[in-house]
Amino acid sequence: MSAPEVSDLAERALAATRPGEALATVTRERSLMLRFAHSAPTQATSVDDLTVEIAALRDGHVGRAATNGVDLDALERCAGAAGRAAEAAARSAGAGDYPGFPAPSPARGHRTRSIPHPCRILHEGHDVDTAVLDPGRGGEALDAACAAARAAGAEASGIWTTASVETAIACSTGTFALDRLTDAFVKVVAFEPGGRSGYGSQTAVAARALDPAAVAARAAQKAVAGAGEPVELAPGTYTVVAEPPATHELLGVLARTAFDGLAHAESRGALTGGLGTRVAAPTVNLSDSPRHPATLPRAFDAEGVPKAPLPLIQDGVAHRVVHDTRSAALAGGASTGHAVAAGGGAEGPLATNLAMAGGGAADERELCRAVERGIYVTRLWYTNVLRPRETLFTAVTRDGTFLIEDGEVTRPLADMRLTDSALGMLSRVEALGARSVLVSDGELYGRRFATGSVCPPLRIGAVAFTGSAARG
Amino acid sequence: MLALLEELIDSASRRTAYADARHVRVRSEAVALRNGELDSLDSHEEEGIGVRVRAGGAWAFAAARGSDRAAGAAALTRALELAQAQPRSPERPLAPEPPARGSFASQAQLDPFAVSLEDKLALLAEAGAALRSERRVSVARAFASARVEEKAFASTEGALCEQRITECGGGLAAVAVGETGTQVRSYPGSHSGHVAQAGYEHLLSLDLPGNAPRVAAEAAALLDAPPCPAGRTALVLAGEQLGLQIHESVGHAVELDRVLGGEASYAGTSFVPPDGAGSLRYGSEHMNVTADATLPGALGSFRWDDEGVEAQTIPIVRDGVLGGFLSSRESAAAIGLARSGGCMRAEGFARQPIVRMTNVGLEPGEAGSLVELIGSTPKGVYLETNRSWSIDSRRLHFQFAGEAAWEIEDGRLGRMLRDPVYAGTSPLFWAGLDAVCSPEAWKLASVTNCGKGEPGQMAGVSHGCAPARFVGVLVGSG
Repeated sequence: MSAPEVSDLAERALAATRPGEALATVTRERSLMLRFAHSAPTQATSVDDLTVEIAALRDGHVGRAATNGVDLDALERCAGAAGRAAEAAARSAGAGDYPGFPAPSPARGHRTRSIPHPCRILHEGHDVDTAVLDPGRGGEALDAACAAARAAGAEASGIWTTASVETAIACSTGTFALDRLTDAFVKVVAFEPGGRSGYGSQTAVAARALDPAAVAARAAQKAVAGAGEPVELAPGTYTVVAEPPATHELLGVLARTAFDGLAHAESRGALTGGLGTRVAAPTVNLSDSPRHPATLPRAFDAEGVPKAPLPLIQDGVAHRVVHDTRSAALAGGASTGHAVAAGGGAEGPLATNLAMAGGGAADERELCRAVERGIYVTRLWYTNVLRPRETLFTAVTRDGTFLIEDGEVTRPLADMRLTDSALGMLSRVEALGARSVLVSDGELYGRRFATGSVCPPLRIGAVAFTGSAARG
Repeated sequence: MLALLEELIDSASRRTAYADARHVRVRSEAVALRNGELDSLDSHEEEGIGVRVRAGGAWAFAAARGSDRAAGAAALTRALELAQAQPRSPERPLAPEPPARGSFASQAQLDPFAVSLEDKLALLAEAGAALRSERRVSVARAFASARVEEKAFASTEGALCEQRITECGGGLAAVAVGETGTQVRSYPGSHSGHVAQAGYEHLLSLDLPGNAPRVAAEAAALLDAPPCPAGRTALVLAGEQLGLQIHESVGHAVELDRVLGGEASYAGTSFVPPDGAGSLRYGSEHMNVTADATLPGALGSFRWDDEGVEAQTIPIVRDGVLGGFLSSRESAAAIGLARSGGCMRAEGFARQPIVRMTNVGLEPGEAGSLVELIGSTPKGVYLETNRSWSIDSRRLHFQFAGEAAWEIEDGRLGRMLRDPVYAGTSPLFWAGLDAVCSPEAWKLASVTNCGKGEPGQMAGVSHGCAPARFVGVLVGSG
């Protein structure tokens, strides 16, 4: 099924709905993922599937239904289910508060009924070569990654994955939108014979931009760095030099707790009463930037609202939160294009293209130079929020935690549990690395929706560590 | 469908040494009200065929939507192409298994899809209204879910079986907002409430409207409660939080794929060694943990797993000593087990089976009821309902947060405490288990969002447990 066919299917799905406002979304995923462990392949997965989602609006209530069938019967069943759901809600609960699906915006990339295919896609997020999904390229990537790890005296585990995703939206308000995206991701966790591990990853729009050997080499170098058993540090506060994957976790916490417009409108957000005030160090500039040259671009949100750059924190001052149509109505504003589901997701809108501007430090090594005694964190694991309004979260360091002494990384550390406020940490940013890079988790639950943040390494003062994940 | 899969597998057998195929059809519905208005009402249907082939010591899997010959053939072709593309790896044997044959359906008295949406919305509206009767509750959510999964499975070793599993459940959550922040209380649990392999009768049995006033009152009371004091003390856990403690520090730690390093790049590894069965001291003599895939009503139950291995009951810990693992045919063979533990499950048709925990539960003890257990505790903390969870990549060091706690003084519950957290190291924590309540207090708690694998998969599982006491636990506020 080609992109125009995906678009046609969205229109057929919309046509299957009964009178009343409706929005149909078709997402077609073709993806490949090759996993490996102990420097050998383990599980490879190829997916070719699509989802037709129909959202129907009745008297302020949105009912949604989804199917992966494409024939008329399946579309009508899906449309019927969405309509019945909305009608049942309207009958049961009276008038709802959803104001209606967004109207089209032709100037920002929407096609209206009078403009033929294809509509304009205002980003560079699709690579034709990657969309071929060549499994042979994956096999070569595994060979290269494992060889590089072996050369450094380590074993490699990880994934190499690519995908092509087309999303078409057709709405009864006249909105027609089509987005085509590719994404590619490689990740290596390398283990030295004693069990210490190191991490490397790379994310891009194009598979050819990935360098699995370099990623594996970086992971392996971390695994073998330093001699002897990892040292245990006592709980306390330490200066941290965080690599971009650790910064990415921090930004992920903020996306869920601080920038969620629904929580903000319900007075339970971390920036409730805080917009216009200083919440971070003056060197911190953070935005949602769907067309940043380094990000995984995205043209529209789940309600067909065009994506646009949105400043969130400028020079340390909180400026905006993100909205979908529902949260915007509650807050008395307009959607910023951050819906994750038509009609609004239960968890509210989400910033999916966070980008933090870099600073003046050349790299992590330079960030370490000002640290007398601190902790070098490669990445954080099992991050979970404790108190959302305070952005208090906990996580464990993983795959490359080191002691910094007198400005140099000296010894491997046992992993540490970090429990601190994400906004508090941003307020204690002492310096930023010059180069922001795209970081993704690549976990990809459900229908493929690859996201990442563009972020630099950071040096952060007085980070609270509450325990050591000592070896058992 | 079985005939189509048999034909597909016959074709596969001429092209590869081992293959299996699953056709999966899923129908699901999720309804939620937020402050009396519709928050979400989603229904979902999907079906497709997934084909898995063995390539040396690795698996190649491909999935295609649909239920016809073309879908099956397309999936098989791509799986074989993928197998060819992977680097060669040494052959690894599979533990032998007799071919699965037959059909199975889980018990459900009332088909949840036969109940009208209006009835479901009315139930949730009544519960939601009761939550909002407390003025400091700013967000009141009431929700319900239902799911039916029909699966057919065939393999080149002669397996041919089909299963139908029905699940239903729901719950409540009240968010209170005050000067000191926000507080949440949920019922029966914070992760999708409580879901069981059952019909609509299970949702009715939860009595959401009847529990809503208490839930709302507790959310508001937490705003005024003092923070949980820091220190080492006796900790009493029950229900969902104890279930999650078992899930994270025992269930995942004994998944044999993790133990053998197969999940090192994502979920992590394990502190449990592959040769630890029979010798590794996991906890105190009160610790008896069993993985039971035959438990009626539990989300991790089935007749056959997704590689055709019959459901089993496996001792995981006996009298505090590691007794066994959660395994697949491949991982079982890798450590010399005669048979797979039957723990392979896949989410839908578009993911390949991986080792997932079945219903890992703590066997009951002799400490009586929860009231009796607290009565025998001079000083401590009783903690309810999970709020946050985090554990390291070896399943060793954890930190959990509960929604609410109460101090225990002289065998009685005292003040309510907000923001309780506790932390520990798995074997040391389980070594502190000094009492488990009796069989009458043993209940199932459900986890519906267990994530694992790449690409990511969600699975549901239940954990049976009776309230239990752990001594010398580091608790505090966070």
